[in-house]
Parts: sequence; C-alpha cells; structure tokens
Amino acid sequence: MMISRRTTLAALAFSLLAGTAMAADTIKIGVNEPLTGAFAASGTYVVNGAKIAADEINAKGGVLGKKIELVIEDNKSNPTEAASVAEKLITSDKVPVLMGSWGSSLTLATMPKLEEYQVPMLVETSSSGKITTSGNPFIFRISPPSSVEADAFEPIAKKLGLKKVDFLVINNDWGRGAAADFSKMLKANGVEVGLTETMDQSAQDMSAQLSKLKASDADTIMVTSAVDQLTLLFKQMAALGLKKRVITTGGSQNPDQIIAQAGAAADNTMHLTTFLPWWPEKTPNPEATAYFLGEWKKRGFEFAGATESFRGYDGIRSVAAAIAAGGGTDPASIQKGFWKVDIVGLNGPIKFAKSGPTGKESGQSKPNVYLIEITDGKVKQVQLGG
Amino acid sequence: MTRFIAPLFLVVFALVPLGLKDPYLLNALIITGILTICAMSLNLLLGFTGQLSLGHVAFFGIGAYVSALTALGFDVSLPFGLRITHEGGSPLLGFVLAVGLTGLCGYLIGRLSFRVRGAYFVIVTISFAEVVRLVALNWVELTQGPLALTAIPNMVLPVPGLGDVALRSKMQNYYLVLAVAAVSYLIIARLVASRFGRAMRGLKENESLALSLGINATRTLTVAATISAAMAGAAGSLYAHYIRIIDPDVFLFSYTVTMVIMVVSGGKGTLAGPLVGGILFGLLPVALRPVMAPEAQWIVYGAILIAILFLMPRGIVPALESLALRRRPATETKSAAKPAEAGANP
Amino acid sequence: MDQLLQHILNALVLGGTYALLGIGLTLIFGIMNVVNFTHGALYTFGGYAMYLAAVALGLNFFVALPVALVAGLLLGAFIEFTLLRPLRRSDIDTTMLVMIGAGIIMQSGTLWIFGGVAKAVPTPFPAQPLVIGPVSLSYVNLFVLAAAIALIAITYFTINGTRLGRAMRATFQDHDTAALMGVNVSLIYTATFAIGSALAAAAGALLGPVYVVTPQMGELAAVKAFAIVILGGLGSISGATIGGFILAFAEELGAGYISSGYRDAMGFLIIIAVLLVKPTGLFARAERIG
Repeated sequence: MMISRRTTLAALAFSLLAGTAMAADTIKIGVNEPLTGAFAASGTYVVNGAKIAADEINAKGGVLGKKIELVIEDNKSNPTEAASVAEKLITSDKVPVLMGSWGSSLTLATMPKLEEYQVPMLVETSSSGKITTSGNPFIFRISPPSSVEADAFEPIAKKLGLKKVDFLVINNDWGRGAAADFSKMLKANGVEVGLTETMDQSAQDMSAQLSKLKASDADTIMVTSAVDQLTLLFKQMAALGLKKRVITTGGSQNPDQIIAQAGAAADNTMHLTTFLPWWPEKTPNPEATAYFLGEWKKRGFEFAGATESFRGYDGIRSVAAAIAAGGGTDPASIQKGFWKVDIVGLNGPIKFAKSGPTGKESGQSKPNVYLIEITDGKVKQVQLGG
Repeated sequence: MTRFIAPLFLVVFALVPLGLKDPYLLNALIITGILTICAMSLNLLLGFTGQLSLGHVAFFGIGAYVSALTALGFDVSLPFGLRITHEGGSPLLGFVLAVGLTGLCGYLIGRLSFRVRGAYFVIVTISFAEVVRLVALNWVELTQGPLALTAIPNMVLPVPGLGDVALRSKMQNYYLVLAVAAVSYLIIARLVASRFGRAMRGLKENESLALSLGINATRTLTVAATISAAMAGAAGSLYAHYIRIIDPDVFLFSYTVTMVIMVVSGGKGTLAGPLVGGILFGLLPVALRPVMAPEAQWIVYGAILIAILFLMPRGIVPALESLALRRRPATETKSAAKPAEAGANP
Repeated sequence: MDQLLQHILNALVLGGTYALLGIGLTLIFGIMNVVNFTHGALYTFGGYAMYLAAVALGLNFFVALPVALVAGLLLGAFIEFTLLRPLRRSDIDTTMLVMIGAGIIMQSGTLWIFGGVAKAVPTPFPAQPLVIGPVSLSYVNLFVLAAAIALIAITYFTINGTRLGRAMRATFQDHDTAALMGVNVSLIYTATFAIGSALAAAAGALLGPVYVVTPQMGELAAVKAFAIVILGGLGSISGATIGGFILAFAEELGAGYISSGYRDAMGFLIIIAVLLVKPTGLFARAERIG
C-alpha cells in the first residue's frame, strides 16, 4: 500500500516535469567525466566502472521498476566544459541526477549549475574540502576529502613512529589540500613537519625536488599525486639513491600499475588507499567486490584500473540506491533519497553525514582507509589492528 | 557585402533568445560570445598591427581574477610588513577595475616588448602568460591557488527605477555579453577607421615608410596593446561572474589557441573576421558533441580548421569578399581595395 | 654542498634532453619560418613508436631507437608534403594554425588508438644507480645524455659539413637567391621538416623509457622546447643547445633553492629579463645556422 502510494506520487511529480513524462521508461543518470585531455585515463576508468554498475542494476530489474540509462558526456578536463556539460545533461537530456566530475576544479565548476536547476550530484573522486563545506545541498560525496584521510591516518602515524615528515605534492587542490590537512594532523600528534615541495601536474622530471628532499633530515616523505607521476617519482628516487620511508596518499595509486612500470623502485613504498582489490574476501562487501572484479576482467580492462574505477561503480550504485530510497525519479525525491542511502560499497558503508553550513548541508560519506605496502613486487596490507 | 555581417549578427543574436529557450545552447552562446570578445581584441593586435600575442589569455585571466577578487574581497600580506585587506565590493566595480588593470598590464607589456618585434613579441607574450599563470597557482594567499575562487557573485547592474539588479538568469547574462561585444566591436571599428588605424596599418605593411612619415611606432603599438588587453580583461570579468568559479585553469594555453583559431580562420585584419570565426569555432564543439566519440570530435575539429585554411588561406571573410568582388566588380571595388575597413560603418 | 653537486649533475642530464628538444624546433623555424605546433605531438609519436617497436614488436631497445627515429623522419616528410608544401606562399600565422590543427589531430588520434593510460617501455639498463661519492645518477640517464649529445653533434655536422647542409644554410639566408642558384628549395624544406621531426621523435623515444609514454607527454615538452628556442635565439643550433642547458640549470637551482612551485617559471623569467636588457635575445639572431 505504502509503496503504491509512493509510486503514484512519484508518477504525479514526474508528469509535472514537462517533457520527461513521455520518455519515462528509463531513469537517466548524467555522467560528467574527463574522457579527453589531461585526466582522460582516470575519467575513462570511472566511466567503465559506472557501466558495470548500470548493467548489473538493470540485469536485476532496474530501480523502481525502470531501467537506468547512463548519459555519458566528456568534460575535456576543462572546468568551463564541465559546467557546460552539466547544463546540457540537466536541460537537454533532462537527467534528474548526475555523477561527476573527477577533478575538484571540474566539480566546483558544475556546482553553481546544480543550485540553479536544483539537481543533485554524486561526487565520486574530487577531494577538495570546499566541495562539501560551501553550503551546496545538492552535493553528495563518496570520496574522502583529505581531512578524512588524514584522520584515518592518525593511528597509523602513531604506530609507524614518524619523527619528521616532508611533503611532495602535486600542485593542485588535491595535493595542496593533502599537505595542509596531513600537516595539521601530524603537528597535533607531535610529529615535526619539514619541507612542502610541489610539482606541476604535468611535470615528468622531479629530480630537483627529490635532491632537495634527499638532503633534508626528515625520515619520511608523504607524497600525493596520481599513478603516472608516482611511477616516475619512484624511478627517480631510485636513481638518486633516495632511501626514506615513502607514504602516498589520495587513493589514486593503482599499485599494480606502479609495480609493473616502476619495478623494484616501488619496493618498500607505503600507500594509503580506499579499496583492496587484491583480497576481495577482506573488503567490506566481498560479494560485490568479486562481482565487480569479475566483470572488470570479463570486459578486458586492465586490473590496475580497478582502484580508480570502483568509485564509478560505487557511485552509480549509490545513485540507484538514492533513487530507490527517494521513491521518485524527480531531482527533489532523489536528493531526499540520498540522505536515506545505506549500502555497503566496495570500500565500506556508504551513508551520507551532514557537512557544511546548517540548513544547506552537503552529504559526505566516510570510506575506509587502508595502508598497504609493496614488498618484492607484491602488495601486502599493513596490519594496524591490536 | 561583409560590411553588413556585424549589424546582421547583432540583430540575429539579439533576437535569438526570443526563439531559443534551450538553456544549454544559450550557455554555449554566452561562452562563445565571451571568447569572441577575446578574439576581437586579439585581432586588434594580430590583424591590424601584425603583432601576434600568444599570451592573450593572460589578460583574460587577470581580468577574471581582478573582478572576482574585487567582488569577494581578500586579505594578503606583502613583504616589508605591508598588508592589504579588502572587504569585498560590487561586481560592477570589479568589471571596471578589471578593464583598468588589464589595460595597464597591456600598456606595460606593450612598452617593454615593442622594443622588439615579430617573433620576440610572441615570445614575451607567451612568457608573460606563463609567469602570470604560475603566480596565480602559487600565490595561494591572494588567489587561493589551485583551491579556486568559488561563490563569485553574479554581475550586478544598477538599473534606473529598479535599483541594483543581479544578473542571475541566462537571458540577462546573454544580453550583457552581447552588449559588451557590440561596444567592443564599435570601439575597434572607430579606431580602425581613424587616423590611428591608418598608422597601425602603415606600421604593419611598411614600418620604415610609416616611420619616415612621422608615425610614432612604439606609441601606436602600445595604445593598441592597451585597448586590446583591456577588452580581454572585460571578457575575463564577464566570464568570472558568469561561471562563478575560477582557478588557474583560466590561464590555459588552449584558450589562447582558441582565440587565434577564431581570428585567423575568420580573417585577421577584418572587422567581421573574429565574429565569423568566433561563432564557427565556438559552436562547432557543441554541434559535434552529440554526433561522435569524444576523441573523434577533436579530430574533426582539427580537420575542419585545416580544411578552412587550405580553401581560404586568408580566412573566411576575405574569401567571401573576393568572391563578392568577382561577382560585382563595379560596386564593391572600393571596399575591397581597403579590406581592413570593410564593415567599418555598421 | 652535496645537494648542490647533485643539482648540477641533474641539470647536466636534463640540459642534454632539453637541447635535443630545442634543436628540432629551432631548425624548422629558422629555415622554414614555420612555428611548428606539431613538435609536441611528434615527441609523443616518438614515444609511442618506441613503445610499439620495443614492446609490441619485441625489438631490442637499441634497434627500436633508430626505428622510432626513422618513423619520425617519415612522418615529418609526410606532414611537410601534405600540409606545408601547398601553403608555401601563405604567411606565418596560417601555417602556424595548420600546425595547431595537425597537432590536435595527432594528439587526439593517439588517445583514441592507445587510450589515456600510461605505457612503460623497459630499458636494458640496471635499476641501481651509479654512485660517485655523494652524488648518484642512473645508467639510463647517462645513456640518454650521451645519445642526445651524439644526435646534436650529427645534426651540427650535417648542417655545417655536408652538401645538404650547405643548401639548407643558403635557404636560411635567402630562399629566393638559393632557388636561383639551383638549390631545390622544396626538397630542402621537406628535408628540414623531416630532420626536425626525427629529432623530436628521437627525444620522445629516448625519454619515453625514462619517464612513461602518455598522449599528453608532448604538451609540456613543447612548452619547454619553445622556451629553449627563445633563450637560444631563433634558428641557431648552438643557441638551442646552450639554451637547453641554461633552462635546465635555472629550473634545477630554482626548484632546489627558491621554490618548487615556481620551477617552471624560471625559464620564462630569464627570457623576460633578457629581452628587457638585451632586446635582440640572449644570442643575437645568427647570420647563419650552425
């Protein structure tokens, strides 16, 4: 009874949205990702993960009795385009909900559009703190901002007995944010913070920064960057004979790609990550992880991409859960539905907590954070329990 | 023939929102309009004085940052214990300051770099743009660096009888961009038709002759650079208050490339060229988007660019002019003899 | 002190690769008056040619290198023949824009064919670095430096010591006179563009294995190449070589002792400073190339 009433209401709400009511046999989800330009590789991985989730959901009968349909658009790794794409998806394709936009500047650029059209968006990758603290109630994020990651790292830092830490970060919101949040946490725990060096996001030669870090008296270097630059860093560290403890943050490491491309240079590096595809049985949702990895393999994608693409998979599943929980296919119901989402994603429970100014809170889910270490070309989890 | 292009564009684009309700296309037209203003300003340098600025995006970006920071406010400490605190003010003041400050930057760059010509001017402008981008990226206290300036307010205009009106809707922003574009066009048209314009063209075609006739080369070029930069700054301000978030990506070299494509494909040194090139290459990506894969869109974009230059090496507008000339030699000879002035009097 | 020594060594290695990046571009600009916006795409092409030859075809590393170089030579000749030859009479802006279009096509085509994920090319060199006292250097970097110096020397010799080089120099000074004197200017242009492209591809093939190969790798390389050419003066091979080392030292010491955030600004700041003090460039435009 309850359900049927809800559906009637939803249908009513739906028919009020001009133009959409007729084509209502599918529920459209807009996907706004970088498929060309600087972030093409990552955006493509996320989209591949999203497709797996959509196919899985549709095979099981869809949501609210309807199939979901992904409308995927390329934002060209450019903020102006990201805003235009959001506009297109919302107004031309009439999607009631979006997922996007990988990089923080891309996501920030789409946010005024969400407010303008009152359409919710699931943020799957971006890490900038501003996204969930600026009072945009249409934002629901499953990726951890660096402050969440820093908090999760706190017990690990104590256990590792860090004395003095230098930072080497990519010169964008992600790297700068990580350096700021981790410094704050470390200082609060009595760990000394030394240099903070930056590198351009397209830089390939980091030997100048590394030589400087080599000469510093810190025992640990914390690095934030994406997989390609990490690979180069490890190779160049080996070439410089730089042998300090290295911990990477940010969850975009794809350790398998690093092992394959950096070889022995990647040994003894530690990585903070949010997903453990190496041991599906150890993840919070073994069944879903096994299914996701199976599909990933079946479609012929490289295993290394799984640590990036799982966010697309979790993202679409969260959107579908929000649609189901909201009981309607209009933006307002889906926005309400997001607050009721309670599923187990591949890296922990997905459940949105309020973040930002009262009355206009964004949603932030808190994923698990794990520490792994590469030893002899193999990934192993660093046990932190006990 | 082509002298009617600009007024025709103005009428057509003034009427567009009456029939076009699709916000996505309106948004595409607004962005295209902003880039077209940049292209027009670049044309003043590249087309009329022959000096190629490959750092034009610097003025666009400075305009965007100045305007946004004026509206948002900032608190920054400088060396020697100096500290500047600004509370945040009206976006209109931001627009005025953006125009003024980018004009000043253009003047300084002009003064410094017009001691050198040609390739070296290209180089100074590229270097300037790259340094400005890196300052925007690294001076976090002022610009927030890569963390981006967010929640930039919409442009506010004082309207008689209504008080201050914030331009929130697409339609309002569309007409604002159209108005700024029209004013920019008129300024360039008047300038080009004036004595000053003849001095610019004289320098472009035969510098030593122009100098012997008493034209002050550095002064002429500097004035052109100042006006050109100020217009790009105006476009940057419009962009900041429309998109409402800016980060150092506004200095992307690809924006300069887009501006150059618009000017040269449309026809540099013609008044209508940047308009035609701007509309074409502004809307081409929109037209390609639904048709093919993302990578293919870029390939077709590049191929169309090459095809235009192969068929019309001097650009679309000059090609149309010579076509018209061939058809009606008697009536059009005058404007063709002075192609730079074609369309000067809308 | 140890840190300074390491910085100097890094700068020497980096300078060699920068010089290699710069000379192809300066050659084409000097002789053909073309601003080659495909330079970065040709560098990327060299990286992927190396990847295909060494990984997909399984050729030996030292065989794959010349294969990539020759592939760059052929692609360069093809681009000149199809895109630049018909526009010989056009001005510099038109050819620049055609090169921009070609560059966009090449980069997007690479992304379409290979995808955005970085490819690694294994090298036969040991991973352990060569340690000399307080400084260390990897063998592969040493090899790249040696190869870069060899390629620069070969180019220098080709231009200064061969018939082809004499014709190129004559064309550089005055192509109309050169044509009157019986130089086949069209052929010289094709040869120049092919050689410049081969050098860009060689740089990509050498550095691809040091770094990783991605569709965007050429973008930053092109920016650096422009800065180097500017520093060294347009059209001068020795200028570009010196410019490459100046840029490397400025970046390395700037990042090491001033600020890593402004590392990439160092070269441009030098350029602006030089042009203010000495508007004709660091090295006055050479009367002849070489």
